[in-house]
Amino acid sequence: MGGNEDPRMQPGIWSEKEGVFILPDEWKLSYQVSCGELSPFFRALKEEGRLLGMRCPSCGAVYCPPRSWCHDCYADTDWVEMAGTGTLTAWTTVYFAASDLVEKVPFRQGGVHLDGARYPIIGRLEVEEEERLVSGARLRVAFKPQEERRGRVSDYYFVLDEVS
Amino acid sequence: MRRVAVVGYANTVFKRRHADKTFARLAYEAVRDALFMAKVRHQQVQEAVYGIYNDLFTHNMMPELHIHYQLGLARKPAVRVTSGGATGGVALRTAWQEVAGGLRDLVLVVGVEKYADLNGVLEMIKAMVYGGDQFFEQMAGVSPAGSYASPAIFHMQRYGTTEEDMARVSVKNHANAERNPDAQAPMRLTVDEVMASPMIIYPYKLLDHCLSSEGACALLLADEDTAVRLTERPVWIKAIGYSTDSGRQAERDGVGDSLLPAVVASAREAYEAAGINDPASDIDVAEVYDSFSGIEIILYEELGFCGRGEGAFRLKEGFFDLGGGLPVNPSGGLIGGEHAVSATGLYQIAEICRQLRGEAGERQVEGARRGLAQCMGGARGAYSCVTVMEVD
Ligand SMILES: [Zn+2]
Repeated sequence: MGGNEDPRMQPGIWSEKEGVFILPDEWKLSYQVSCGELSPFFRALKEEGRLLGMRCPSCGAVYCPPRSWCHDCYADTDWVEMAGTGTLTAWTTVYFAASDLVEKVPFRQGGVHLDGARYPIIGRLEVEEEERLVSGARLRVAFKPQEERRGRVSDYYFVLDEVS
Repeated sequence: MRRVAVVGYANTVFKRRHADKTFARLAYEAVRDALFMAKVRHQQVQEAVYGIYNDLFTHNMMPELHIHYQLGLARKPAVRVTSGGATGGVALRTAWQEVAGGLRDLVLVVGVEKYADLNGVLEMIKAMVYGGDQFFEQMAGVSPAGSYASPAIFHMQRYGTTEEDMARVSVKNHANAERNPDAQAPMRLTVDEVMASPMIIYPYKLLDHCLSSEGACALLLADEDTAVRLTERPVWIKAIGYSTDSGRQAERDGVGDSLLPAVVASAREAYEAAGINDPASDIDVAEVYDSFSGIEIILYEELGFCGRGEGAFRLKEGFFDLGGGLPVNPSGGLIGGEHAVSATGLYQIAEICRQLRGEAGERQVEGARRGLAQCMGGARGAYSCVTVMEVD
């Protein structure tokens, strides 16, 4: 993939190796993604470096990542701030990624059961000592510096929670 | 419900890239051969169901429409099914419902995959990421491979399963592929060779990983009256179970005993409908979704082929080998045979048909009368489909 040139402007070629005619092509679409009713989560992440969740007024379940309704109660949920601490469920090392974190490989990634949350959340782990990455390890959310934050979930990561 | 049988099946050979054939041509070759086996002309087919996984691979949003027309089936119904790696199983289920319910007597099911026009592996992985939750996983660097790493890590922690245990799955499946002329990766390997292949995502190395393949598979389904008229060896679809789970991989971590709950639920549905109480003795041969070596070990347990924590031991003992008590993935599975995503679930069914009709050549499981196929997709088996087939 050389530069930003549109492959469709390049000529097709006969491939001696494969014995077929090859047409360079590309699908490239840009989006302006509306975060809808979840917008406060992304705004707080980018502008304030805070992690928000949503709480069901009926059963009390807290969802982070936020859900605007509880899928058990079918009730609309309310915004709450997450403490940002939690426990590690499982983790792995990613050697090959294709998204926001492509420049970070290899990186560690794990499930973190945030305190008070119903389900774990997934995130990048910034922990050097592999022997400390055991299920149940205490972790704390951390944020990129404000000038680097883009309002995407790659803005936060998890570190060992040394205090608790 | 009416009994439904597979009366014809066929697949192309599987390889990394069929540069010399278009997408439609691959589908055509499988369809042509499946119809030929059943001695049915395409004019007699009443409807076709297409399992086509991914628009970004296919470079088309309505691929089934274009194939259907080129197969000479225009003005008959065409249905497309897409359910990640479970696409083939769910496509079969869709066609089975049409015939079992009495709406049609003769329905074609087609799975076709041509992913390798994508310009390299990175482009393919990029395309697969779009199956994840838009805000919270696509943008978090979550890879499809990662979703299958954590169950293996849980299994290691709970039961002491080792990377060498997992490597044994790769050794077995690549060796089985040596007996399958349609397979992509026949290989004689040792555990050490698997262990020495490059790390992809802990605990998996390159040789623990499923293949990426192009190819197609087609099956022809018929109701009982039509089936017995067409063939002396109908393979009956005894039961299909289908289930789903959270599409977000993190939201299942550490929940309950089951590492793949949708697999358990889909197997339970199929076993109840088929009257299976003890899968290890009631099933003679199985094709399961070995996306990664460690996942096959977990599947032995989730499908009830052995108890929880016993998978690695039973594998080492040879229970799942060709010639063992319950041979698993005689075709070579996704690791040694093929993983043409859209076609995989149907190719598993084709392999079970071969086994039950005694047409599996060098990898024939002697006396096989009942077989199981299981496929799954989405993050860590968020879709799972289990099919039980048998011969009279
Ligand atoms: Zn609730």
